[in-house]
Amino acid sequence: MSTKRLRTIGFHTGASVLSLLWFLPIALILVISFRSTDDVLGNGLNALPHSFAPGNYSAAWSGGGMQQALINSAIVAVPAVLLTLLLGSMAAFALSRYRIPFRRTLILLMLGGNLLPPQILLVPVAKLSQVFGLYDSLATLIVVEIGFGLGFYVFVLQGFMRTIPGEIQQAALLDGASAWQVYFRIVLPLTRPALAALGALAFTWIFNDLLWPITVLITQSKMPVTPALLSLQGQFVSYWNVIAAGSVIAAIPTVAVFLRFQKHFIAGLNLGAVK
Amino acid sequence: MTVASTNSVTPTNARPVASRATGRGRGPKRSWGPGRPSPLVLAFVLVPLLVESVSVFWPAVQGFYISLTNWNGVNPPSFAGFGNYSKMFGDPVFRKALEDTAIWLVLFGGLSAAGGLGCALFLQRERRGIAVYRAALFLPVVFSLTATALMWQTLYQPNGMVNGLLSSIGLGGWQHAWLADSSTALYAQIVPALWREIGYVMVLYLAGLKGIDPALYEAAKVDGASAWQQFRNVTLPQLRSVNAVVLSVIIIDSLRSFDVVWALTQGGPYNSSQLLSTYMYQTAFVNTDFGYGCALAVAIFVLAFGVIVSYLVRAFKESD
Amino acid sequence: MSYSPTFSRRGLLAGAGALGAGLALGGCATATSTGGSAQQGGAVTLQSDLSSPLAEKAMQSLVAAYGKQSKYTVKLNTVAATTYQPLLPTYLTSANPPDVYTWYAGSDADHYSSRGLLLDVSSVWKTMSNYQPALKTLSTDAAGKQIFVPTDYYWWGVFYRKSQFAKWGLSEPKTWSDFLNVCATIKAKGVTPIGLGAGTGTAWVASAWFDYFDIRLNGAEYHRDLLQGKHSFTDSKVVDVFNTWKQVLPYFDPNGTAVSWQEASNQLIQGQCGMLLTGTFFADAVPKGSLDDLDFFKFPVIDASVPDAEEAPTDGLFASSKTHNSAAVLDFMTWMATPEAQNLWTQTSSGTVIPANPQATSPSTALVQKGKAMLAAASDLTQFFNRDSTDALQNTANTALIDFIQNPGKLDSILSTWQSQAQQAWKTA
Repeated sequence: MSTKRLRTIGFHTGASVLSLLWFLPIALILVISFRSTDDVLGNGLNALPHSFAPGNYSAAWSGGGMQQALINSAIVAVPAVLLTLLLGSMAAFALSRYRIPFRRTLILLMLGGNLLPPQILLVPVAKLSQVFGLYDSLATLIVVEIGFGLGFYVFVLQGFMRTIPGEIQQAALLDGASAWQVYFRIVLPLTRPALAALGALAFTWIFNDLLWPITVLITQSKMPVTPALLSLQGQFVSYWNVIAAGSVIAAIPTVAVFLRFQKHFIAGLNLGAVK
Repeated sequence: MTVASTNSVTPTNARPVASRATGRGRGPKRSWGPGRPSPLVLAFVLVPLLVESVSVFWPAVQGFYISLTNWNGVNPPSFAGFGNYSKMFGDPVFRKALEDTAIWLVLFGGLSAAGGLGCALFLQRERRGIAVYRAALFLPVVFSLTATALMWQTLYQPNGMVNGLLSSIGLGGWQHAWLADSSTALYAQIVPALWREIGYVMVLYLAGLKGIDPALYEAAKVDGASAWQQFRNVTLPQLRSVNAVVLSVIIIDSLRSFDVVWALTQGGPYNSSQLLSTYMYQTAFVNTDFGYGCALAVAIFVLAFGVIVSYLVRAFKESD
Repeated sequence: MSYSPTFSRRGLLAGAGALGAGLALGGCATATSTGGSAQQGGAVTLQSDLSSPLAEKAMQSLVAAYGKQSKYTVKLNTVAATTYQPLLPTYLTSANPPDVYTWYAGSDADHYSSRGLLLDVSSVWKTMSNYQPALKTLSTDAAGKQIFVPTDYYWWGVFYRKSQFAKWGLSEPKTWSDFLNVCATIKAKGVTPIGLGAGTGTAWVASAWFDYFDIRLNGAEYHRDLLQGKHSFTDSKVVDVFNTWKQVLPYFDPNGTAVSWQEASNQLIQGQCGMLLTGTFFADAVPKGSLDDLDFFKFPVIDASVPDAEEAPTDGLFASSKTHNSAAVLDFMTWMATPEAQNLWTQTSSGTVIPANPQATSPSTALVQKGKAMLAAASDLTQFFNRDSTDALQNTANTALIDFIQNPGKLDSILSTWQSQAQQAWKTA
């Protein structure tokens, strides 16, 4: 066997072992999600399954409210990610390619917003949204999610954007392009890998967020997936099999987004550099 | 040099050949757009800044104000000046939380950066099945902690899989009640935290690795560099900007590790795995001592900001 | 290259903005908002933390039943119990708070009421004249008005499996020495005598043992005073509690602080432990059919001269004083206190609670009848550690008790640390 083949086999073995190790806790969740309630209550979580109850999934879907929660999460996550990337790339563009006074301070300031422990902003944000009469609304949640993530994305994007050669911009401006066109037609496509990566990550964060939804929302039917999942737990007793099924359901959209996006931020870079 | 069509232009970092390239300080300073930014460009900055101000900075200032008071969430607050801050210095639990947070930052931070980079290097080539492996590593990031925390609790139980595994490979003496034993509680929780973090860091490094011009590697190979030398002399320097991002992410996520520790031990048993973030949450929401809780939050912020800023100011200086 | 015009313009704007913000910031986050958009009528919002599947369904059926016989409607929002508790103050102090809340009587309710956040429901109590006086006292705040409507209560006991006890030839112990004998017998059979479940997330279970030792040795009144900060944790009476506990500590599950309460209840069901001191919410964790094998006995009497008291946590409803729907709210709460509502609740929830209304039909299972009799015979009823004191104090108890269970030799230092932490908690209460 050629060394190349050996190396390929070695790679796949190693990668498979790593992936399986990583997958183990999730495999456990899957196993539990198919056990019946009496089985889980009677035999404990550590035991091998004594039952098969796919009904947990439909229980989580309708009775557990996962269906509505997924919709709510999507309603919040999609606009929030799009707007965050738009606003973040705009600010990053301006801060990285123009001589704006105090630009470095501004970048650090915006990043600083992400360093605040979010738990402590819980009460002030709740109060503020009440004061403005925007309490208990998904739109408020979108604004809060955007605001809280912006600093980090500006920071990352400006790092990527600085590396774009200035000549490209010069040439475009010489051709009569406006700042907006430079941004939209030239710089933005060049940062596509970073945008795709951040988009996938941002979607995951916002879709699965717990803290801001419980701060800003009161009505149960507006809650996104993680608060909905949490509310499947009882004060004392929880039916872990249903909760496990619910969390599998909740994970599917974000996994799908990741698989879809990872093509973009991995491929798409023709490393035929400008010579 | 003509401007190629946008589809094939690649952002590249420093090139070995000095040209009018963007620089890590090599070659002449790049010439950007016009010296005075137009109002549109200013708006590009001010609108996001406004959004962030409303949803983050303003509440943060409120939080800072609360830290100067004694407030239990219900009664009107009473002004306390810097009383909460001086309380911190005499608080043994604060000191323990500070120590634990430092340990956490070093171990969790170091291991997630190294692990993320390692996995990214390992899985960077596009080959068959690569998406599956990457997805497997990223899966913990997307799975709700509600369920995964329960799994880790179950794994760590005295009769759980971790102890079972140890006894089956003959290390029975190493068995512990991992989450209930004060000597292991903190360290045991680093594992699930890493499990959730490495996939995320890997994604960041993957994007960064893809930005490295392969011509650099070719040039190094031509010079007879070994794989390790290539890594040290090409990969690592090129990843410097990504490292700044990863460092910020790790600092931010060390604060976010609140979720893992709170779900598993709430900082217990008897404060043996207390982090600053869990202590802050407990103080504000369990002990309803919002004033002290906000003071702790300010302390966390100052520490995190201090670490990041010192690194970034240096990084900015280098790149301009 | 002069930035000046741009800079000073921006700087001025920034400065003005900061000033305005500074002026506004003061009361913002800490203010108790007064009024909101006044919207009379509309559905009554019921914010509930009863999130276990059975309880949630039971609440839904209650709300539906209410809607059928009333012109008002109630909208139910069930929120996870873990997120409900930290947010309760925020709910109550908001501009447009939810109208009704499920919670328990005790320090929390008193606290909110003293800030004028709770609706006076004395008018509802006029229809509840058949309720026990103890419940009415529990629902009355310091100013003498009722602010709470109890819906049900439950009890704590030492649960065991009848078949196991029969197999080991044991009967329910009545006195402390009986209890020690039972423990020794079970241990000799190779089974852990006492399960605990004070692990991750459920450390508060250990407080049940503390409560009961204190009640049995020092009486309910001393216990309540201790939990209100009127005695020190370094008192000799408290040391007695722990010395008595030490007698039975060897019989505890050695991994008791490493497993959650639900795991411990599972251990009892599987026969891996002999007895478990737990509340009747335990029944929710029992698979169908196994409940018949379960029975309980009351915590053994240690000092016969101390009058028997029991723990009987009471759950119910209170309402926000800022509701715009007070007529509907009072109507709903009155209905919730009626026998029909309480029957519906006890039938559809877990079935091991006792309805607060004496005229409602308690579930007829032997278990519930026994529990009801035990509580009726008690000379005094306490609620539970955190309900009788505060969550902050409960937190200090968790730290101290888990430490004690793992390191009983450190008792003195544990108690003095507990006392100093408790003093801190009272200062900020």
